[in-house]
Amino acid sequence: MVAGQGTTPTPAPVLPPRSEVGAVGWARANLFSSWYNSLLTVIASAAVVLGLWFGLNWVVLDAEWGVIETIGGRFIIGGYNTDQACPGNDCFWRPQAALLMTTALLGMLWVVAGGVVGRIAMAVAAAAALCAFLPYSMERMGLDVRLLLLANLPALGVGWALARYTPVGKPRWVLVTGVSVFLLTVVLLRGIPGVWGLQPVPTLYWGGLTLNLLLAVAGIALSLPLGIALALGRRSDLPIVKLLCVAFIEIFRGVPLITLLFASQHLVPLAFPEAFPRNSLFSAGVVITLFSAAYMAENIRGGLQSLHPGQAEAARALGLAGWQTTLLISLPQAIRNVIPTIVGQFISLFKDTSLVYIIGMVDMVEIGRTFILGNPEYRISTKEVFIFIALVFWAFTYGMSYASRRLEQRLGVGTR
Amino acid sequence: MATTPRALTYRGIPVWRHALIIRWVVQIVSALVAVTLVVWFFANIVGAIQERDIPAGFGFLSREYQTPIGEHFIPYESSDTFLYALLVAAINTVVVAILGVILATMLGVLIGVARLSGSWILSRLMLVYIEFFRNVPLLVQLLFWFFIVLTLPPVREGYVFFDRIYVNNAGISMPGPVGSSLASASAWLALAAVSVGLGVLVHRVLTWREDRTGRASYPLAAGITVAVACGAAAWLIVGSVVGEAPLVISSPEPYGRFGRIGGGFTIRAGLLILLIGLVIYTSAFVAEIVRAGIQSVGRGQTEASRALGLSGIDTLRHVTFPQALRVIIPPMISQYLNLTKNSSLGGAVGYTDLTNVAITMTQTAPAVSIFLLIMLAYLAMSLTWSLIGNLYNRHIRIVGG
Repeated sequence: MVAGQGTTPTPAPVLPPRSEVGAVGWARANLFSSWYNSLLTVIASAAVVLGLWFGLNWVVLDAEWGVIETIGGRFIIGGYNTDQACPGNDCFWRPQAALLMTTALLGMLWVVAGGVVGRIAMAVAAAAALCAFLPYSMERMGLDVRLLLLANLPALGVGWALARYTPVGKPRWVLVTGVSVFLLTVVLLRGIPGVWGLQPVPTLYWGGLTLNLLLAVAGIALSLPLGIALALGRRSDLPIVKLLCVAFIEIFRGVPLITLLFASQHLVPLAFPEAFPRNSLFSAGVVITLFSAAYMAENIRGGLQSLHPGQAEAARALGLAGWQTTLLISLPQAIRNVIPTIVGQFISLFKDTSLVYIIGMVDMVEIGRTFILGNPEYRISTKEVFIFIALVFWAFTYGMSYASRRLEQRLGVGTR
Repeated sequence: MATTPRALTYRGIPVWRHALIIRWVVQIVSALVAVTLVVWFFANIVGAIQERDIPAGFGFLSREYQTPIGEHFIPYESSDTFLYALLVAAINTVVVAILGVILATMLGVLIGVARLSGSWILSRLMLVYIEFFRNVPLLVQLLFWFFIVLTLPPVREGYVFFDRIYVNNAGISMPGPVGSSLASASAWLALAAVSVGLGVLVHRVLTWREDRTGRASYPLAAGITVAVACGAAAWLIVGSVVGEAPLVISSPEPYGRFGRIGGGFTIRAGLLILLIGLVIYTSAFVAEIVRAGIQSVGRGQTEASRALGLSGIDTLRHVTFPQALRVIIPPMISQYLNLTKNSSLGGAVGYTDLTNVAITMTQTAPAVSIFLLIMLAYLAMSLTWSLIGNLYNRHIRIVGG
């Protein structure tokens, strides 16, 4: 066939005008689409420029970051390695060993879950290893401390290899390992009387970011199943069970956490017999878990309500028992639908661990506050201390919400 | 030999698989466990109280509290009773909750709308605000503001703006209206309330007329005119009867040896810090709720409204926002509830809220009773918020929907 014979030549495609494509087009659509948007863009740009100018100026020139260096490791482990807590100051390796175990666990999770978990695992190990090169003198931060921090990189590799090449890599075994790591961490930090090198350290001296993370991990792990149970109880058609669950949820949701924490300090010694453990850390963990479970229950209930009743009816019609319908059909879909609110609750829980100061526990925030109050010469550097604490908390909470968004994408929420 | 009919050998469902029996066994067991736990706790508490001779009961409520309360919105003396002190503290919490809710809503709506702005850079700026402030613990933010205010100079060396506004580490003092005498001020305030009521009535009637007849009746302008005119008339009448203006502007002035500041209108540092912290923290959550609510309204609604010739602002006001409100209200109410409960952090920045006063009280009064009382107070506040939310929800639900 001869081209062009007897046919009109195809016209060259009409390109959009140059003002509508590329950088100019993008700016026209997103910055200057109308006169008030242009005005807002100009004002916002001015705010950004001024903010960056003064902000950077302060961060680089005016701020006295020496205070962070002075507080140093206390931010992480609080008073754990002080003379009162651990005579001889040789307990520093215990939190670090716990960190090594956690990194190895993250390496295992990387294999099992993949994706964003891998990136988080690498970030944690890299951050820990980088801390080995902090410009402290060798007297303040010894070679042993630095080597233990560096060991996080091989630990990550060991965990990864274990999960990749041995049967430990099954999700069930990773779960078992996770629980064991947590319990081992608690035992390691607590110490065993009579064992050399593991002298007991009272929980009173546990502190810093370690305390926040311990409470948050325990609270998250326990409040989710408890919240699911409460949500199912609240939706149950058994009136007494329903009444009990509603009462629990509404009482714990209606009262501030700080009030509950303080009440626990006064009521637990009265309400439990003498033999019961009188431990601030323990009661803080229990109160935070119960408080968070009440919120979790409401989130899960929202997810259950968003399901079409046809799902459960179809499951029953296929011959699934009631508990099978709930566990295999309703709950997985309900939880998938409310991942953002569940993670939001985890984030709240992590932020709420800063309230344990009210019962005398010294978490990361309280370390900063007591340091400022106890050292008036550093009063001038208060801003630096709290901005640093805020950024540390932000890194964890933002990591959580980032992971939740990736999880949602992977589970295809809203697309199927 | 005849076989026995099946029906005769059928003995029914075994007891342990009978749905009705399982249901009742589960219920009775859970009720028993719950009752046993509660009784056990109470028995232990009562036992411990008797054994260790701990004061208990509610007799302390009529005793004198004998402790100052830093911030109080109703008159308070140290010689007042515990019960009255608890009331003062509860009012402190309610005041900060109401102010906080109003300010956080205003700021949050503004930020939520700006987050959806057509200006990319403004939208990004608001994203940074939201992601930062809602991911950092409120306590850290409050302590940050607390120590910032502490770095302000003390009262004697405080900043003075325009000779009228005093800023120092005790708070901000500025000129404000003060009643010249109790009788004239309360008389005018009552009449002013009536004037506002009249204005609202006029607005309602004219709106109704406009809706029915389609004739432009300018309800808002007429309502405001009526309210202002009646209020001014009341001012003149009360002023001429009493002989002086009902309210006078009072300016703060330093007095005494320590340069304390009297007169005017003072926002104390504790309230100021708590409000700043709560408002910034909550507004980040409110902004996200507002953004999600506006985005939940279908694009077709906006496009149809623009096609009908409504401007961008009018579309937002008359089409998008009323529909978004249905999605916004329930999570917003739970944020208001959170703000109310978060005000219990006031103690960390020197504000005497309910929890802070209660914690101080446990030094001189039975802790069990106090916690029971403030738990009831907080539950009452939560229920009030839920009630308001439910009523409003019913008011704006889709008619016939």
